[in-house]
Amino acid sequence: MSKKPSPPANIFYADTRFERQARRAGGVDRDRALQRAQAEVEGLKADFDVWIDTEFKKLNTALAEITADPADKAALERANVCCAQLRDVGTTMGYELVTFIARTLCEILEAYIAGAPYDQNVIDCHSNAFMLARMEQYRHLRPDQVPEMTNGLLRVVELASIIPPDVAP
Amino acid sequence: MKNSTINLKDLVILVADPNQYLRRVVNGMLRGFGANKVLEVENSIGLFQALSGQKIDILLCDMRLPPHGGLKLTRTIRRNSDNENRTLPILLMSSDTSESTVKNSRDAGANIIVAKPMSPSALYDRLGWIVFNPRPFVDTATYFGPDRRFKIEGYPGGVGRRKGDKIIDVAAEEGPALGQDDIDSLFSNARAGQS
Repeated sequence: MSKKPSPPANIFYADTRFERQARRAGGVDRDRALQRAQAEVEGLKADFDVWIDTEFKKLNTALAEITADPADKAALERANVCCAQLRDVGTTMGYELVTFIARTLCEILEAYIAGAPYDQNVIDCHSNAFMLARMEQYRHLRPDQVPEMTNGLLRVVELASIIPPDVAP
Repeated sequence: MKNSTINLKDLVILVADPNQYLRRVVNGMLRGFGANKVLEVENSIGLFQALSGQKIDILLCDMRLPPHGGLKLTRTIRRNSDNENRTLPILLMSSDTSESTVKNSRDAGANIIVAKPMSPSALYDRLGWIVFNPRPFVDTATYFGPDRRFKIEGYPGGVGRRKGDKIIDVAAEEGPALGQDDIDSLFSNARAGQS
């Protein structure tokens, strides 16, 4: 059977309002725009401590539910959402370590959702790491400044997120 | 690109992300860049309401925006031929920056991806790239979106798509997260193809 020829592609420039208008004179030059944006981010930092406390509380509640019933998919999903929110904002607000720990915990929670065997020690070591990351002497450290913690968590992820072949999708 | 100035005044920018705090952060950054019309939605229902209610100039959308996810939303926006926002610039925000995710985003019709957590400079430069490197749209039976074709040094096995393409070795696809520079290169190659 012969293959039907595909109709030719239509190629055109969309000339969007965004492209047109954003090139106008009178914009904020890059350096000033970045300074102003950074100032806006700084202005949000006062609220960040409140927000991060709320997220940690939500996360701890979900983790406690998982401890009570490791098969509770809804609690795993809730914990994963909280963790992803911490991961996505931490570094922007100057909390790189929070992002790092949240990223490794997200990987583990996603593995649990996909069927990896549950291990309470893995959850506990992440809870402890979060506790440290919120303390004054740790909160503004980069992951490379606490290699014992970060290498340990990476190793934990490596071991704990293995999904047995019989439950892998 | 680093010295180019973009003017966001009076442009309607839609930020779609389930994380309220992150929306505030992105909104703050955009206002710092000079934007004065920033809308926020927390899910795809809100997104489609916003898109149907007004002309949006650029969409910043989370890759995992519930319930549909950024890829599906991008495809939906691009494939709806009656939608006046069909050619809307779409910037996907994602913490998953594996090569497959980046390629899927490009194939869904996204203009670019910015890695989360994001910095003001990462966001400003990606907006600038969309403005100053406009790509033509391609409309075929299977794809509608910014031109994805690569102006690369060649294709495997000598199957060049363009006159003058050379043979190159292509590495096997790998899983680890890509840095923002690597993500950009997957899009910038396509942009370079226009010249």
